[in-house]
Amino acid sequence: MDNPTEVTRADVDEIVRTLLNNNAYTIMDNIEGEDKFGTAPVRDAYFALCSTQLTGNLDGVAGFIHKNQYPAPMNALRSEWGAIGNLRFLVSSIGSVNAAASNLGANVYNIFCVGMEAYACIEQDGYSASFIYRPPIYDGPLALNCSVGYKFAEVPRITNDLWVVNLRTTLA
Amino acid sequence: MSDNTIIQQGAFTSAGTTETLILRSDVDWMKIYNMTTIVGATQWDGVEHYWQRDMAVGDGLVWYHALGSQALSLSSCVVGFNGAVYPGFYPITHDGMNLGAPIAVTAGTNAVLPVYSTANTALLAAGAIVRVYNSAHTNLGGLDFSVDTIVANTSFRLANALATAPGVVAGAAGFWRYVAPDVGTYNLFTPSRRVIANITAANPAVVTTLVDHAYTLGQQVRMQVPAACGMTQMSGLTGTVIAVTASTFSLNIDATGFTAFAFPLPAAVPFTPAEVIPIGETPWAPQQLGGLSTGDATDNQGYIGMVLGSSGAVSGSPVGVANDVIYWVAGKSFNV
Repeated sequence: MDNPTEVTRADVDEIVRTLLNNNAYTIMDNIEGEDKFGTAPVRDAYFALCSTQLTGNLDGVAGFIHKNQYPAPMNALRSEWGAIGNLRFLVSSIGSVNAAASNLGANVYNIFCVGMEAYACIEQDGYSASFIYRPPIYDGPLALNCSVGYKFAEVPRITNDLWVVNLRTTLA
Repeated sequence: MSDNTIIQQGAFTSAGTTETLILRSDVDWMKIYNMTTIVGATQWDGVEHYWQRDMAVGDGLVWYHALGSQALSLSSCVVGFNGAVYPGFYPITHDGMNLGAPIAVTAGTNAVLPVYSTANTALLAAGAIVRVYNSAHTNLGGLDFSVDTIVANTSFRLANALATAPGVVAGAAGFWRYVAPDVGTYNLFTPSRRVIANITAANPAVVTTLVDHAYTLGQQVRMQVPAACGMTQMSGLTGTVIAVTASTFSLNIDATGFTAFAFPLPAAVPFTPAEVIPIGETPWAPQQLGGLSTGDATDNQGYIGMVLGSSGAVSGSPVGVANDVIYWVAGKSFNV
């Protein structure tokens, strides 16, 4: 048997229970049920941030509601995949993954489940980030090469570690 | 490629062991010149190594004396020559070191300091970090460990003692992978969470971690101890680090009377291992440094670099053998 296993409804329930016990507020309000075919009300929810690789597994978890089944899909975020219980899943192609880190050598995906104000980003100098492109004519005397860089003066901070829970999973 | 793409160069005298070069930026190629063997004519001595981006981890090209003369032959590190293969180049990128290739484990002992047998110890040196998986030690699978006692191409031992032995003897199944040469490369952000190997039921409680922790005095941590590990009274508690060794730290928590800590046995799989999670900031740093903190997990300790492999007393790898004089040069390319 692999360790960790794929995500299950019991995992989601434990995460929600842990965040509730730690007095974390949910981030999103509930979406009220409406009389529309194939839809279901969505609970108030914490966010779960994860890799796009997990979308198929999420579809198979008991109680999964895809965002197109929300009574008001326009309330879903662009990166949102759906909801399970009190977790709404946001997916990204650069979601966290630990290569070959399971008992059987499979990739382990980290699902960061967060409550309201669990983390913050502090901007230091009145700006967050600058993307700097210098065309060839400004980048060298012979105008051969351009350059691209970035700088930022901001600090991400976990404000309360009790409101951040990492759900580690493999693919089914 | 022209030489004007060179971004850094240097030299060192080989200790006959793995050498880590810290580079000022990402590189696309690297050349290693062994000035000692180049002027010699000893058969099977490697004299020049070359690595280029997209080569397999641990590989590289090697020019060597195929005869007892100045004539050179070319091979790759993973193909090797003279009946042996040679650890080559292991790049460290902005997100850490790439995992080494899987290497078979042929046995594992049932002890609090398990010893794993393998025909290839590759880059391993004391303090390195490995990952073992797919063995009969299912309770250790996928976890990372510091190692200490390496018998070249025979075995390695986990460095930090488990609370309880794995429960079974591991047979000829499973693999290990090279994760990092040291804690500095492994951490990236420091201090980092660690999986717990043992906690003493004492005052103060002493915590042993699977991978050396690099915590400092005054660090605040939170303990997470699932029921499978026994000492549930410790779970959720926060404490301050009051003493450290490389693999252990003491907390200002009185664990006298707590249930004994046990490392879960294979029957408990799947389980969540006990972890220690650094929290907050080092208490005195903000005042001393004018508001800047150096003690929490936003401090990126990672670096870009290259680990050069060693083949011990045989001069086939980039570092050659002890006392060889090595020159190196690394650069970028537009054609990648």
